[in-house]
Amino acid sequence: MGGKPACTLGEVKNRADLIIYWGGNPAECHPRHFTRYTLTPKGKFTPNGRKDRTMVLVDIRETPSTRAADVFLQVRPGRDFEVLTALRALIKGQPVDPDRLASTGLTLDQLRDLAERMKRARFGVIFFGMGLTMTRGKYMNSSAVLTLAAELNAFTKFIAMPMRGHGNVTGADTVLRWTTGYPFGVCFNRGYPRYNPGEFSTIDLLVRGDVDAVLVVGADPAATMPQPAIEHLKRVPTIVLDPKVSTTMRIARVGILTAATGISAGGTVYRMDEVPIPLRPALRSPYPTDEEVLRRIRQTLAARSSG
Amino acid sequence: MGNREAMAGVITLRLREKPHVPLEAEVICPDVLVGKPREEIQALPVFLGKRTRRLGDFFDVEVDGDGEEIHLEGDLRRVRWVGRGMTRGRIVIRGDVGMHLGAFMQGGTIEVFGNAADWVGAEMTGGRIYVHGNAGGQVGAAYRGSPFGMQGGTILIEGSAGPEVGMRMRRGLIAVGGAVGDFAGLHMRGGTIFLFGPVGIRAGAWMVRGTIVAFRPITLLPTFLYACAYRPVFLRLYFRYLQDHGFPVPPEALNGTYQRYTGDTAVPGRGEVLQWIGDL
Amino acid sequence: MLRIKGGKVYDPVHGQAGVVRDVCIADGRIVENVSGGRVIDARGMVVLPGGVDIHTHIAGAAINFAREMIPEDHRRAVALVRTPARRAGIGGVAPSTFATGYMYASMGWTTIFEAAVPVLTAKHTHEELHDTPIVDKGCYLLIGNNEIVLDLLEAEDYERARHVVAWLLWAAKAYGLKAVNPGGVAAWKWGQNVRGLFEPVPGYQRVTPARIITALAQIAEDLRLPHPLHLHCNQLGLPGNFATTLETMKILEGRRAHLAHLQFHAYGGDDWTTFRSEAPRIAEYLNDHPNLTADAGAVLFGDTVTVTADGPWQYLLYRLTGHKWGNMDIENETGCGIVPYAYRQRNLVNAVQWAVGLELLLLVRDPWRIFLTTDHPNGGAFWRYPEVIRLLMDADYRRERLKALPPKALSRISLPDIDREYSLSEIVIITSAGPARALGLSHKGHLGVGADADIVIYDEDPDPGRMFARPRYVIKGGEVVVEDGEVRQTVLGREFVVRPNYDEAIEAFLQPLFEHYYTVSFANYPVELERVHPVEVRSLGE
Repeated sequence: MGGKPACTLGEVKNRADLIIYWGGNPAECHPRHFTRYTLTPKGKFTPNGRKDRTMVLVDIRETPSTRAADVFLQVRPGRDFEVLTALRALIKGQPVDPDRLASTGLTLDQLRDLAERMKRARFGVIFFGMGLTMTRGKYMNSSAVLTLAAELNAFTKFIAMPMRGHGNVTGADTVLRWTTGYPFGVCFNRGYPRYNPGEFSTIDLLVRGDVDAVLVVGADPAATMPQPAIEHLKRVPTIVLDPKVSTTMRIARVGILTAATGISAGGTVYRMDEVPIPLRPALRSPYPTDEEVLRRIRQTLAARSSG
Repeated sequence: MGNREAMAGVITLRLREKPHVPLEAEVICPDVLVGKPREEIQALPVFLGKRTRRLGDFFDVEVDGDGEEIHLEGDLRRVRWVGRGMTRGRIVIRGDVGMHLGAFMQGGTIEVFGNAADWVGAEMTGGRIYVHGNAGGQVGAAYRGSPFGMQGGTILIEGSAGPEVGMRMRRGLIAVGGAVGDFAGLHMRGGTIFLFGPVGIRAGAWMVRGTIVAFRPITLLPTFLYACAYRPVFLRLYFRYLQDHGFPVPPEALNGTYQRYTGDTAVPGRGEVLQWIGDL
Repeated sequence: MLRIKGGKVYDPVHGQAGVVRDVCIADGRIVENVSGGRVIDARGMVVLPGGVDIHTHIAGAAINFAREMIPEDHRRAVALVRTPARRAGIGGVAPSTFATGYMYASMGWTTIFEAAVPVLTAKHTHEELHDTPIVDKGCYLLIGNNEIVLDLLEAEDYERARHVVAWLLWAAKAYGLKAVNPGGVAAWKWGQNVRGLFEPVPGYQRVTPARIITALAQIAEDLRLPHPLHLHCNQLGLPGNFATTLETMKILEGRRAHLAHLQFHAYGGDDWTTFRSEAPRIAEYLNDHPNLTADAGAVLFGDTVTVTADGPWQYLLYRLTGHKWGNMDIENETGCGIVPYAYRQRNLVNAVQWAVGLELLLLVRDPWRIFLTTDHPNGGAFWRYPEVIRLLMDADYRRERLKALPPKALSRISLPDIDREYSLSEIVIITSAGPARALGLSHKGHLGVGADADIVIYDEDPDPGRMFARPRYVIKGGEVVVEDGEVRQTVLGREFVVRPNYDEAIEAFLQPLFEHYYTVSFANYPVELERVHPVEVRSLGE
């Protein structure tokens, strides 16, 4: 049923000799990825730095990251799932139809080569980005990468890791999991945690208009979500906590400026490999932290319900 | 809908007050309602967002006789979990209905003269659901993490359906008359899916076993291999079954040659996709 | 202030087995006498010290990974609906943190130890422990595959290794040392495992699992840790592994050690078809060697999820079952593997496993050295402990359950020949007094003056399973937290942490190595003391 083989970034630094970036542009979006973790650092078993590694980049177009790649595979937009599924077959020596593969923009030879590289690696890693997780297929694209990496462990050591966006997504995921059992989209309506992506995930709730009040903390949905979601945010009482007057705050009923997390407000961030790192505030802010504001809201609600 | 007389042996629920947020009403189920007097039915709990309310707050209730039939009327688009886990009886809905219709169903029948939403018949093990309009995604599917979707029963959708129809189904029959979204039959373990309309991409992805029968041209993954062309006899039994239940089968589909593809070699699986190529 | 009046007190530490007496509490401790305050009428009830779980997986990256992998179990699980006293949560085999605290307390357990913590993610563990209400807690540091330590052992620099281990222990804010499949998890970083105790770990010439085990056991003693080396032996789960376990116990002669979830290490046979119990041989050795303690790691039939640092074993389980597989390797230190699993009565191997756990508990004569655990969630969820208790106390019930096993299993096990029944006093020892003593927690596991007021009160019931499943009262630190099966109030338990002695100069040795192998700054590596609260630090003298 597939799996999720993961590791911390130090394992990549120390051991990985095959680095695959899929659907991401680390040179621009994670600017120190190459130099801290994957390509140039000299790790315990990678004393020759860049020479000890081969980098493969899979993306729909060339980006600044392409320059750093040893192999660049240009896949047609929205065809990653087909490629990953074909790779799952190829590593097992199973047949793949070359004509139907052609629609991906990649040839059977290219994929056979990639499959061989993966199997022959001493330690391979696939970093997958939003080019995969946010395009047609969505969570199934992620599932395809993770399943492929899990199956490669029959041949060699292989892991897969998501290239996380900004805003401590991993931290939110981690904390929600330990407090509720679920990583996101948690519904408390029935008094206990429930989870069902599509039913309780934010974008779907807003598009369908299933909620009659919205509290936004450190996010800017009005800047990225489809128009029906934005219309709904305008329709219902929307309260926004943000360090700046964001797009969402401009359409909100109530906007509260708060200190920027990670800059003026300290806490613990969870890196993309789930390593917890303390952040100490570097600058002061005239505004209260998100935590202070939320505590005060909660206290006021508690006083009202007991009064 | 106009005022209708409550039919003999029927519990009639007419939506009087449209919920402005989703209403979870798993009590609308023959196993729960049948045999209860009107006042008791009205007092049953339903969940409007985070508040517990009474069924009678939203529905006018009439109980006539002691049959096992429930009739629902109104725009029930926001009413979820109707028929959850039912084992017997019949639910008839005149109007649209919300998510999780007939989820975990074990027996009995549900008929919708309108549209349904996502998760129709999710993880059901028996019984029959017939939607005359459209359905959403995840028809007969598994909820996140569950190893299996539907394991028995029949789901008939005359209109269109969304993505992931029959995802991880293990046994049973699904038929969709209109278009379906991506990933029909995703990770199928068994059972049969009939797709009479246009099919989204990635149908049959990662299937292990089972049969998908498609009447419009579909683009399969590169991990499906052409096997042969033939006229499968067993399909006539299925078509007769569908017609017996009033499901419109296009006349050209009754006879035909099918190209058989096997896959998904990525697993590797032994599922099959039958692509109709005409009455040759 | 609280007086528990007229109950039957079971306090094995003080030789009391059903003595009718009052127990008095003030300021969170048991005292001679109180006047005023609440009185609980405990006539017709039994009064026991709160349970102490010496080995469970309930907080940190590994169990949190498991939570992510089993949403289907959460859906099936007991839902903890929010009440004024209690936050919402989900039960099941990998409960959310608040639910974990409530469920342990509702069962009468008041002190629990998270069995496996890597330094690099220890901050996460302590956050989860903080969000585990009511119970007191501690955790064990994973050290048996720490490559910096292994490299020092390779260089035969035992002294430095000892300082490094001590430094790491304080950095992690842990209570004890844990070794899991020593050498094997390090080998798993390259997809390998270790085989014999005396074969070098892949990548090393001199370091063998045996060397790691003896060195760490010695270090635990040299550092004067209150709990000895806590050891998950090599070859877990494999047919015939009892031989490795016996060998391991032999090399530990003359030193103290605690053997974790011994059930998983007591198997005979050559392969899965000849799988059998060798619990009697293991129990016999344990009986003759008082330097060792163990916890049972008993198996119960049903669905669960396996969570362990033994990465290579979990990969094997994934390949054997085809179930979903999670793996997380932690740089330089350790790893973990997760596979959902179900123990089925009709499965011959599972039937033998079920018998092995009970055989160990029944054949080890001294209840002070074998403790009740299921290695939660590996053998079964912790909230099923009452089922094990019933099987130990009621031989008729046990024989009933034996009848349901596949007939082929009967020739593979010794359980049918065992008539012993645990007394209530003995149960108190294996669930409370014994683990407290093995952990060096002198204020736990008894009801004498000065003890922490962690007490559980049951209605006396001839059915032990029923009795233990529903306490009448649970008292934690003198507060009545559970009454009639319901959490009435929550308190914040404290964390036990040791501060061993080490030479500060070891940091100068560690830092450059750290900066070479790790990917965070050295300053951010240790767990800040402020993150662990409330805390009780035990400084270990020179």
